[in-house]
Amino acid sequence: MTLVHSAQALPSLVPAPASSDERLSLLDDPQEWAQFSQPEGGQSGCWTSSVVFEGMHCAACAISIEDALRQVPGVKSVQVSAASHRGRIVWSSEQTRPSQWMQASAAAGYKALPANDAHAHERRRREARRMVWRVSVAGLCMMQVMMYATPAYVAEPGDMTPDMEHLLRWASWVLSLPVVLFSCKPFFAAAWNDLRQRRIGMDLPVAIGMLGTFVVSSLGTFEPEGPFGAEVYFDSLTMFVFFLLMGRWMELRMRDRTAGALEAVINRLPDSVRRRTAEGWERVSIRRLAVGDVVEVLPGEALPGDGTVVSGQTQVDEALLTGESRPLGRQSGDAVIAGSHNLSGRIEVRIEQVGTATRYAQIVALMESASAHKPAMAELADRLAKPFLIGVLLAATAAAIAWWPQGAGHAIMVAVAVLVVTCPCALSLATPAAMLATAGALARSGVLVRHLQALQSLSEVDTVVFDKTGTLTLESFSVAQLRHRPDLSEDEAWTLAERMAQDSLHPVSRAIAAQARERRRLRGLSDDVAPWPEGWQVSEHPGQGVSADAPAGQDGLNGRRSLRWGSARFCDAPPLTQERLQVSLADESGWLATFELEETLRPEAAAVVRALQQRGLAVQVLSGDAPAAVARVAQALGISDHRGACSPQDKLQALQALQQQGHRVAMVGDGLNDGPVLAGADVSFALGQALALTQSKADMVLMSGRLDLLEQTLERSRKTLRIVRQNLGWSLVYNASCVPLALMGWLPAWAAGLGMALSSLLVVLNALRLSSALPISSTPATAAA
Amino acid sequence: MDILFLLIPLSVALVFFILGALWWAVHRGQFEDIEAEGERILRND
Repeated sequence: MTLVHSAQALPSLVPAPASSDERLSLLDDPQEWAQFSQPEGGQSGCWTSSVVFEGMHCAACAISIEDALRQVPGVKSVQVSAASHRGRIVWSSEQTRPSQWMQASAAAGYKALPANDAHAHERRRREARRMVWRVSVAGLCMMQVMMYATPAYVAEPGDMTPDMEHLLRWASWVLSLPVVLFSCKPFFAAAWNDLRQRRIGMDLPVAIGMLGTFVVSSLGTFEPEGPFGAEVYFDSLTMFVFFLLMGRWMELRMRDRTAGALEAVINRLPDSVRRRTAEGWERVSIRRLAVGDVVEVLPGEALPGDGTVVSGQTQVDEALLTGESRPLGRQSGDAVIAGSHNLSGRIEVRIEQVGTATRYAQIVALMESASAHKPAMAELADRLAKPFLIGVLLAATAAAIAWWPQGAGHAIMVAVAVLVVTCPCALSLATPAAMLATAGALARSGVLVRHLQALQSLSEVDTVVFDKTGTLTLESFSVAQLRHRPDLSEDEAWTLAERMAQDSLHPVSRAIAAQARERRRLRGLSDDVAPWPEGWQVSEHPGQGVSADAPAGQDGLNGRRSLRWGSARFCDAPPLTQERLQVSLADESGWLATFELEETLRPEAAAVVRALQQRGLAVQVLSGDAPAAVARVAQALGISDHRGACSPQDKLQALQALQQQGHRVAMVGDGLNDGPVLAGADVSFALGQALALTQSKADMVLMSGRLDLLEQTLERSRKTLRIVRQNLGWSLVYNASCVPLALMGWLPAWAAGLGMALSSLLVVLNALRLSSALPISSTPATAAA
Repeated sequence: MDILFLLIPLSVALVFFILGALWWAVHRGQFEDIEAEGERILRND
C-alpha cells in the first residue's frame, strides 16, 4: 500500500527538486563563474567562490558547513563566517562543479547562494519578513497567555472553581499551539538537523527546553489529576520563546548593520544598465556589458564599470574606492571607476573595463576574504562551544533528577531554565561581531582590512617601521638635476629612462616616466616611446631596479644591448652627491646617467609620527635610499632611529631582529617593492591608490594614501580588542553566574530566555559602538598634491 | 461569572483574528522599511 502510494506520488514530486538542480546546474557554466568567483592565482584550474548561506544560526553551523563541503572531492579549502553568513570556497574546476558542492551544503541543511547573485538579496528579505512574522505571533500569543495565567498567580486557593482553572489552561494551550508549531520552528528545524547529522548545535538545548515545557504543560492541561497537573507553564514557554526570537531578530538587524558597510561595497553594482544601441537605448543585464559599450548613468546610480565620460557633467562619490570623501567633479573625457556613485547629473560613459578586471572587483574580493576569515579568538570560542553544550545537556539532566522529588513539573522547568540560559551564542558572537563592525567602519573610511586577525595584531604593535619613498614622502617627485656621461645626450638619457621606467611600478619610476612624457609633449616630440624591439627581456628586481637585455644576435638600441635602471649600486654609478634621492641608468659598458630627485614630505607625516610617539610607540625608518637622504627625512620628522641603503633582505633582517627582541612590528610601505618585508611584519600597511590590490601582501591598505588614517586605524584596533575582551568577559561572567542560579531553581524559564537574548544583544550592541566612521581630520587630502 | 465561559473562548478567537490582520500587514511589506516611510515626507520628490 505504501509502495503504491509513493509510486503515485513520484511524478508530481520529481519536477520540484529537478528545477532546483537545474538552477544549480546553470552555475556550472564557466561563464557564470565570474559572477561569484575569481580564478585562484596560485594553482591553475582553481577558483575562489563567495557564497551566502541560508539557515545559519551559530558558530556550530559554520563548522558543520565547512565539514560538509570539505568532504566534496575537488574542494580545496572552505572558510565560513558565522557572523556574516558568508563563505569562501576554493575548488578545482577539474574535479568538481559549483552545483556539486552547493548540493553538499544543501544536504547538510544549508542552502548556498552565489554571493553576487541578485536573488540572494530577495531571499534575505523574505527571511527577514518571516522572522518578523514569527516574532509577532509569539509576542501576541505571549500577551494573551499571560492574561490567562494571571488569575492563577493572584487567586487565593479556593477562589477559582476547578472548571474556570481548566478553561484558562485550555485557552492557554490553544494560544501556545501557534507559538510552538510556527514560531519555534527555526529552533526545532535546526535541532532536528543537528540530530540527523549526529552532532550538537546551539539550538538543540533550546529546542529540548521548548518541547519539554510544552509537553509538561499539555499533560497538566489534559490530566489535571496526573503527576504534572499541579501547574502549567504556558506563560513561561511563550515568554522565553518571544524573548529568544526577539533577541535573534534584533541581532539579525544589527548584524546587517555592522556588516552593512561591507555589504554596501559588495552589492554596489546595479543589476542592469541602459546601453546605447544603433536604435536607441536598451536595458541589459550587467553581465552582458562589454568593453566599448556606452551606457547611461543617472544620478543616484552606481557606475557599472571603469570607463570614460563621453557626455554630460556630474559629481561622483568615490569614497569607498579611494577614500576620497569629497564629491569629485567629472565631465566629458574624465575617467570614472566602477562602484562609484553618480551624484548629480546624467552622464554617458564608455566602458573600458568590466567584471573582475575593475579595481572595484579587486576590492570586493579582498573584502569578502576579510569577512570570511576567522580570527584566532573566534576559533577558540567555536572549539569550546561543543564540549560546553554537552556539559549543558548533562547539567540539565542532573538538575531534573535532583529536583524530581520536589515535584515532576518543577524539576522539568529547572532543567529547561538551565538549557535555555546557557546558549553560548554570546560567546561565539563576541569576537567576530566586534571585528566585523570595525572592518566595516574602516572600509567606509578607505582602509581595507585583508583579514580580521590583523586587527588583533595591530592592537599589540609597539614599533612602527616606515619605508621612506612614497610612504613618508609623496609619490610625486620632480627631477632636480640630471648628471650624465659626456658622450650621452640629455635627450637620449630621458628617452632611455622613460623606456625603462614605464615598465616599473616603483613610485620613482612612475614619476620619471610621467615627467619624461611631459617633457616630450612640451618639446613637440613624438607621442609615444616606441615599444621594446622583439625579443628584449625586461625584468624588475625588487629593491634594486629594472634590467633589459637584447636577445642574442640583435644589435640592440643604438648599440646598447643591456640596460639597467635603478639604485646607484645596481648601476655602478660613481659616488655623486648623496644628499638627494637618485636613480641611475647604465648599459653594459657602465654608468650612463643619474637623475636626482626632489622629494616632498607628506604634509601629515610629521603629525602622525609625533602622535605615534606620544602613544609610546617606537618609530623607525628603513629605506633603500642613500643614508644621507634618509637621515634628512628622518630628522625633519623627529625620528632618531633610521637606516638607509637597505636591500629588501636587510629590511627583513632588521625586522626579524626587532621581533626577536620581543617587539611587535607594524610595517608601512608602498606595497609594491617591499612584499617580503610586509609579509614578515606582524601587521603591514600599504599605501596608495595605484596599488594592484590582489598582488599586494599587506594586511591593510590605506586607499587614500593618507598617513593620518594609520594612527586612527591603530586607535580603532585597540578599541576593538578592548570591546572583544569586554564581550568575552561578559559572556563568560553571564554563563558562569546564570548556570548556578538556574541549577538552584532560582531562575525561572522566562527569565532564562530574557537573559540569553539580552546577553547576545549586549554583545552585538557593544560591537555596534565600533561601527562609526573614523574621524577624518581637516588635513587637506594629499592626493591632490 | 458564568459570562467568562463565553468571554474567554471569545478572546481566543479575537487573538486569532488579530493574528490574521497582522499576517496581512507583515506579508504586504508594511514592516519592511520603517524608517524610510517617515522620512519620505521630508523629501522633495
